[in-house]
Amino acid sequence: MVLGALTWVLGVFDISLDKLSNGELWLAQVFRGLSDGATYASVALALVMIYKSTGFINFAQGSLALLGVYLVYVFSVEQGLPVALAVVCAMVASSAVAMFVERVFIRPFPPDHVLPLVIVTLGLLLIIDSAVGIVWGFRTRSLPSMFPSGAPIEWGIAQLTWRTIGNLGTVFAVVGLLYLLLSRTKVGLAFRAVSSNLESARLVGIRVGPTLGFGWALAAAIGTLGGALVVPDLLLEPSIMLRVLIFSLAAAALGGLDSMVGAVIGGLVVGLARNLLVTFLDLSELALATAVAVILVVLLVRPTGLFGSTRVERV
Amino acid sequence: MKAAVVAGSRQHRQRQVIGWVLFAVVVALIPFLIADTYSPTIFGNRYTVGLGNLSQAIALMVAILGLNIATGYSGQLSLGHSFFVGSGAYLSAVMVSEFHWSYLSTLGVVVPGLFLFGVIFGLPALRIQGLYLGLLTFAVAAVFPSIIRLENVANRTGGSNGLSIESDLEPPTWAPLDTVTEWLHAIPGVGSRVPDGLTGRQEEAVYKYFLLVIMAMVCFWLVRNILAGRVGRAFVAIRDNPLGAAASGVNLAAYKTLSFGISAAVGGVAGTMLAMHSGFVGPDEFGFSLAILLIVGLIVGGSGTLHGAVVGGLAIQYVPLWSSQTQTLPGTDVALEGPYGAAILGGLLIAITFALPGGAAHGFRRIKSRLMPVAPQPPGR
Amino acid sequence: MSAAYLEVAGLKAAYGDIQVLHGIDFSVDEGQIAVILGANGAGKTTTLRALCAMVSTEGSIKLAGEELAGQRTADIVRRGVAHVPQGRGTFPDLSVEENLMTGAFVRTDAKVRADVEQWYETFPVLGERRNQAAGSLSGGEQQMLAIARALMLRPSLLLLDEPSLGLAPMITRSLFEQLTAINAAAGTTMLVVEQNAALALGVADVAYVLEAGEVALSGPADELAADDNVRRAYLGY
Ligand SMILES: Nc1ncnc2c1ncn2[C@@H]1O[C@H](COP(=O)(O)OP(=O)(O)OP(=O)(O)O)[C@@H](O)[C@H]1O
Ligand SMILES: [Mg+2]
Repeated sequence: MVLGALTWVLGVFDISLDKLSNGELWLAQVFRGLSDGATYASVALALVMIYKSTGFINFAQGSLALLGVYLVYVFSVEQGLPVALAVVCAMVASSAVAMFVERVFIRPFPPDHVLPLVIVTLGLLLIIDSAVGIVWGFRTRSLPSMFPSGAPIEWGIAQLTWRTIGNLGTVFAVVGLLYLLLSRTKVGLAFRAVSSNLESARLVGIRVGPTLGFGWALAAAIGTLGGALVVPDLLLEPSIMLRVLIFSLAAAALGGLDSMVGAVIGGLVVGLARNLLVTFLDLSELALATAVAVILVVLLVRPTGLFGSTRVERV
Repeated sequence: MKAAVVAGSRQHRQRQVIGWVLFAVVVALIPFLIADTYSPTIFGNRYTVGLGNLSQAIALMVAILGLNIATGYSGQLSLGHSFFVGSGAYLSAVMVSEFHWSYLSTLGVVVPGLFLFGVIFGLPALRIQGLYLGLLTFAVAAVFPSIIRLENVANRTGGSNGLSIESDLEPPTWAPLDTVTEWLHAIPGVGSRVPDGLTGRQEEAVYKYFLLVIMAMVCFWLVRNILAGRVGRAFVAIRDNPLGAAASGVNLAAYKTLSFGISAAVGGVAGTMLAMHSGFVGPDEFGFSLAILLIVGLIVGGSGTLHGAVVGGLAIQYVPLWSSQTQTLPGTDVALEGPYGAAILGGLLIAITFALPGGAAHGFRRIKSRLMPVAPQPPGR
Repeated sequence: MSAAYLEVAGLKAAYGDIQVLHGIDFSVDEGQIAVILGANGAGKTTTLRALCAMVSTEGSIKLAGEELAGQRTADIVRRGVAHVPQGRGTFPDLSVEENLMTGAFVRTDAKVRADVEQWYETFPVLGERRNQAAGSLSGGEQQMLAIARALMLRPSLLLLDEPSLGLAPMITRSLFEQLTAINAAAGTTMLVVEQNAALALGVADVAYVLEAGEVALSGPADELAADDNVRRAYLGY
């Protein structure tokens, strides 16, 4: 009877046992999942940066990353810089934009009123996305990757490509550097103090505004890097970061919204889950829905995510 | 400054009645005035007002009205209202084109169905609040188009191609559209704007407009009555002071799910109206762009007010339309191109949040209370 | 008249439309300890916040002859004004040691490390818990941490808002002894808001009584301690 039920389930989802027992296919999807996951993790890190410091979700994070990726395109394809250098330039440029945005649109609002700020980030999303559409049009373009093509390690169809290795390596490097920056430097201390207690941060002489601006800049740089990792797999066009944003939100929620390590692990898990489910359950149209399901389940079962700290929400 | 009229006095009531009569006359005459795509030219750009656009704006007003219940009145940040609107639209569309129901009779399924749907949706909202709810609903909104494209349902929903609804909404023979047109045509001045007979298409458009107006009015009236009573007070209490509300015996769980239920049902009706209006439903029309657009409408019009929904509906219909029609920078011949509409809406959203937190409705009310002050009823009467 | 170290004149403060301070004057000489007494809601906390530009204010605040009004909080702190806010005001997510480091955020000298060690000696509990998150300390321990953090600035003016809140009576007494010791050793001028009036008047040089946002009484601490009204209202005998 158990066997009967199992066959029925397999039948409903159109799962073939051939696929399930194909080790190479598993491995191939694991690699791909890790590679995707690394990109979600970067954007999730950016979301977590803002959430930690300000207590709200920056819905314009994907749009800032979108802008950043177009800048990568400009610097690399149009200006002919090497891709890695173009990415660095784009990170710097998008940080500058983010600091400007924070100064002009965010700072005028009292930092402890979260709802208007969320609405403002939605407005920014509309503005930045359409600005990108106005400047670069809706034609799809292809963006080169920072990493060489090819795969150093292959098992049949399972390839551990340079890109996968590069994506993972980049994300771990970012987390490491971020950790050092936040725990070992003065500006990092200021950033964490502001996140922890805004009023006391003021009272010890920390300039709160510029510190939050720094957080925005850093988040935008990380988001741009994430975009530069993800886009070479897809084609560059103005709506590309929306899907990435949803997966990254799922990753951040899973990790706990205020945990950097959580964001990375969340990203990898979401990437893996997405690729495995899509392949083995034949759910290509439901890839996005799996992300939503992750968000829903996490928020219901464990609102603080896997690694988040319990914290009274400031809404 | 004019002397204040006392609320509830005969004079005040008279003024209200006159206001409503004027409003009704305008609403009744507008379709005839703009039936042949009224399009004034301002600074070298042609702008269409268009009866079709107005009808669509009316459907959007109802959508915002629905969002207003969950978000504006009971304070639960829902960024996924487009999901309900889309579900309503697709339910109606499939029932009309596949099973040959009439649009109005689909409401018999859409309203209870979406209410139930909203209640189910509201259940997680009991545990998930504020920003987290926003996050979840945002994701849900983004997922709607891919659900429509699912293979299992694509043969009914038309998948990516959308679904053209085969139904003819023709005015019944007794409708005196031609008589009214002729009659208006005879009025000097205004008359020249009115065609002296409506073509078949125009007749259909005018008829649809009236259907949508009536549906919208019924929705607004029902929602107004719901909100004016116990339920409405409970919603507002949940928004402003959840702990206090719970302490004074408001059943938070019941009212929160109820607000999502009503919100979704009204959203579903708006979906039906949109399907009626355009005779077509496509997956991407009900994606997260619509969700954000509705939030824009809510905030720009005025969250937590009924007038706000009207203003918001007009804003999200006409701002993108007119900005795409602004092909040269007003007064110059600098060419403009691209999705300015969304950028302008985004700017509007930020500007309103910044300068007029109550939205346009709040601004109007302030101006009105200046021009026509109404004093509260003195106590003890 | 020789100018006092802290000279406040016509200080008004408001939260939005709600006016809380209606023009108060007071002064503290260099090296003195001043205490502000007053009922709940009299505006004591608001006075301290006004000195740090944490509320919108009008009037003049002179520190060592320089006008502070109109300056931003961060710049006022750089002038050497440290503030222990009412309640805790610690950074719950930061470790004890990091909390102390934030206290010295605006300092650029090389003695910060040594000062941290010195406060660990003064408050051994903090030393034992140096790597623990401040949020996990007890209320009293957090209060010590908040005071030590403020002193990490090596302030010239220390503002203390109800430092005894949540502390055991024994600890409170030793805290005040330590404060007088610091005052004697480093010459730190202090402005203390305190509910334990007997204790505060015992260590203070001058005292001010606030009532509904105005200075109702002022004078040398020992004179006020002998005042009948003060005795009845704040000392309870
Ligand atoms: N953030 C605020 N917004 C509005 N009003 C405030 C705010 N903070 C304080 N008040 C008001 O200002 C007045 C003075 O408050 P304040 O905190 O200065 O009193 P206090 O003397 O420190 O009282 P306590 O002894 O209870 O600490 C009170 O009436 C209070 O309601
Ligand atoms: Mg106080």
